[in-house]
Amino acid sequence: MAKQKCVAMLLAGGKGSRLKELTENLAKPAVPFGGKYRIIDFPLSNCANSGIHTVGVLTQYQPLVLNSYIGIGSAWDLDRKNGGVTVLPPYSESSEVKWYSGTASAIYQNLNYIKQYDPEYVLILSGDHIYKMNYDNMLDYHIEKQADVTISVIEVPWDEASRFGIMNTDDQYNVTRFDEKPEKPESNLASMGIYIFKWSVLQKYLEMDESNPDSSNDFGKDVIPAMLADELKLIAYPFKGYWKDVGTVKSLWEANMDLLDADQDLNLFEYSWRIYSVNPNQPPQIIGTTAEVKHSLVNEGCIIDGAIEQSVMFQGVEVEEGAVLKECVVMPNARIGRGSFLERAIVMNDLEIPENTVIRNESKEILLVTEEFLMQHTDQHTKVEEA
Amino acid sequence: MKKSMLGVIDATMLPGEMGELAIHRSPAAIPFAGRYRLIDFVLSNMVNSGIQSVAIFPRSPYRSLMDHLGSGKDWDLNRKRDGLFFLPSPTKEGQFNRMSEHLDYFNRSDQKYVVVSNCTTVANMDFAPVLDRFIKQNCDILEITHKGEPTYIYLLSLELLLDLIEQRNETGYESVQSVVEDASSSLTKCQYEFEGFLKRIKTVDDYYQTSMQLLEKEKWSELFNEFQPIYTKVKDEPPTNYLAGSHVTNAMIANGCVISGEVNHSIVFRAVNIGKNSIVKNSIIMQKSKIGEDCTLEYVIIDKDVSVENGAVLRGTPEQPLVIKKGSVESAVTSS
Repeated sequence: MAKQKCVAMLLAGGKGSRLKELTENLAKPAVPFGGKYRIIDFPLSNCANSGIHTVGVLTQYQPLVLNSYIGIGSAWDLDRKNGGVTVLPPYSESSEVKWYSGTASAIYQNLNYIKQYDPEYVLILSGDHIYKMNYDNMLDYHIEKQADVTISVIEVPWDEASRFGIMNTDDQYNVTRFDEKPEKPESNLASMGIYIFKWSVLQKYLEMDESNPDSSNDFGKDVIPAMLADELKLIAYPFKGYWKDVGTVKSLWEANMDLLDADQDLNLFEYSWRIYSVNPNQPPQIIGTTAEVKHSLVNEGCIIDGAIEQSVMFQGVEVEEGAVLKECVVMPNARIGRGSFLERAIVMNDLEIPENTVIRNESKEILLVTEEFLMQHTDQHTKVEEA
Repeated sequence: MKKSMLGVIDATMLPGEMGELAIHRSPAAIPFAGRYRLIDFVLSNMVNSGIQSVAIFPRSPYRSLMDHLGSGKDWDLNRKRDGLFFLPSPTKEGQFNRMSEHLDYFNRSDQKYVVVSNCTTVANMDFAPVLDRFIKQNCDILEITHKGEPTYIYLLSLELLLDLIEQRNETGYESVQSVVEDASSSLTKCQYEFEGFLKRIKTVDDYYQTSMQLLEKEKWSELFNEFQPIYTKVKDEPPTNYLAGSHVTNAMIANGCVISGEVNHSIVFRAVNIGKNSIVKNSIIMQKSKIGEDCTLEYVIIDKDVSVENGAVLRGTPEQPLVIKKGSVESAVTSS
């Protein structure tokens, strides 16, 4: 294998249990987003656009959809003779099968994958976030600062800081302390889960971490604190732009709604930083004579005869005449029956909503409309109010 | 059985009455139905019928066609064995003359039968039952018809095709079509009537009328179904964004568009922008064209990369839609 300057390792084994039925049969990175994408399209496209063409994707939980989606990486132009995408599932050694017990152990168990490229740097990514970022700029920063580790951070509102892993830094962005979900945050720089390590340093600390029986084998909880304790040079890389963890039904819905907001800065239409995805190859969308489409994103293969407002329609969705959708995200190939009404909801893929199903949502929550949800609301006139 | 057909697409059709739509491109490469090129239909039909080796005979200018087809990957034709072959020929006239320059392709193929097709037929057709009929009826040449009219799509054995190519000077036949049309020929000719939606695009009027027919749901669903998809070159356009103030009815819209204005009874290709207060009616707008604000377009075919500036008014008639050339700029002054 030819040497690669930087190898990316994308952690894509997460279950994402707070996404409820959305991740029943697929890993969180495979969850559909934005009318045509899956979450993992964002880090993979960022890699391709940043010129990082060697990407190991670590899968564990429900990998079938994810594995077949990634394939040989051609959708992201990552089918390469040298490097390219490699899916790295857990494997068995002579004595035992080793599941990935934490983010650090997942990388540790694939040290041989990284070694074959003899890189200088290793980029660690997660498949949980929606953002566009040039990793090559971050790598330049890492090299310029002669850091052992660079951690990408974003300023979050102070009142939300206790939900994140918080980096305390000096005025030169040198990391002085890391607090995982602190009750009283002293900084509002949240770790984005994006790290660049000097390969030699990473290898050493992963080996140390693995031999420590008390470690939970997690980058944030174990590896980074160990490096800080040894006074290595850890530096924060301040990122400005759109970044969102889509770990809950509500945040997934919000991120979809953000795409309809002209003022936010996640621009899917930017030609020079395309977000690539596996093309569903469906015909153009049909907007019928009775349709009303207001302020919405609609993907190919949709047939819209009803009224949609402030909504995101994935490929192959049908909205029949007289149906009304407000602030909804409809996953691929679902059908909304004639005369139905839905608001502030995510509709599962391939779901058929029977005619005249009325689901009013007067709660603050976002409804996840599944087969089960429909069975529980068989009278077809449902009002979900604040509990 | 399925693997036993070769596909030959004769893309040497002259622009003829395709007018300005075919100035810079082969008629095979004319954009159609929002995201396709005309050749996608016959090519996808071949692939969906199990044909794994397709030869395209192009006529210059074919840059656009080559760019579209690439390695054939989007049709799953980038294969180690067989796949897509692009066979340009310096000989301009005579299908058999052109084929004779690429005998290697035919000689190296171990398929037994050949589908020979034109490049501008829009249909969703399975050739497998056609081959069954061909074999059952012991045909020499089978012609596919639609409502009794020829479609210029044929099936014959590779052996006969090679004979016809070899003996072209003695027989005077210059194409499969000329053999079929010769009533005195002793070959056994059969017909296969195709019953679905089928149009062969030869003129701007065919182009416009056929496009508009696809706005009727029954016709649309005869052409597009999930089991026999029409493949095309993949672009990574995001979903189309309908902004506040847009009003779209009875339209076929591809991905990557940003629509602020009004669109009615029209076809809009990929990555088109339609500005505020603009009205697009009974029109076709091809990829990457920009329609400014306060424009009115009626019965217009706008080719690729056209810029229609704010306030421009462009009008054709149902009988004679106005064609705006690829890459041109239409200002409010020049259009009124």
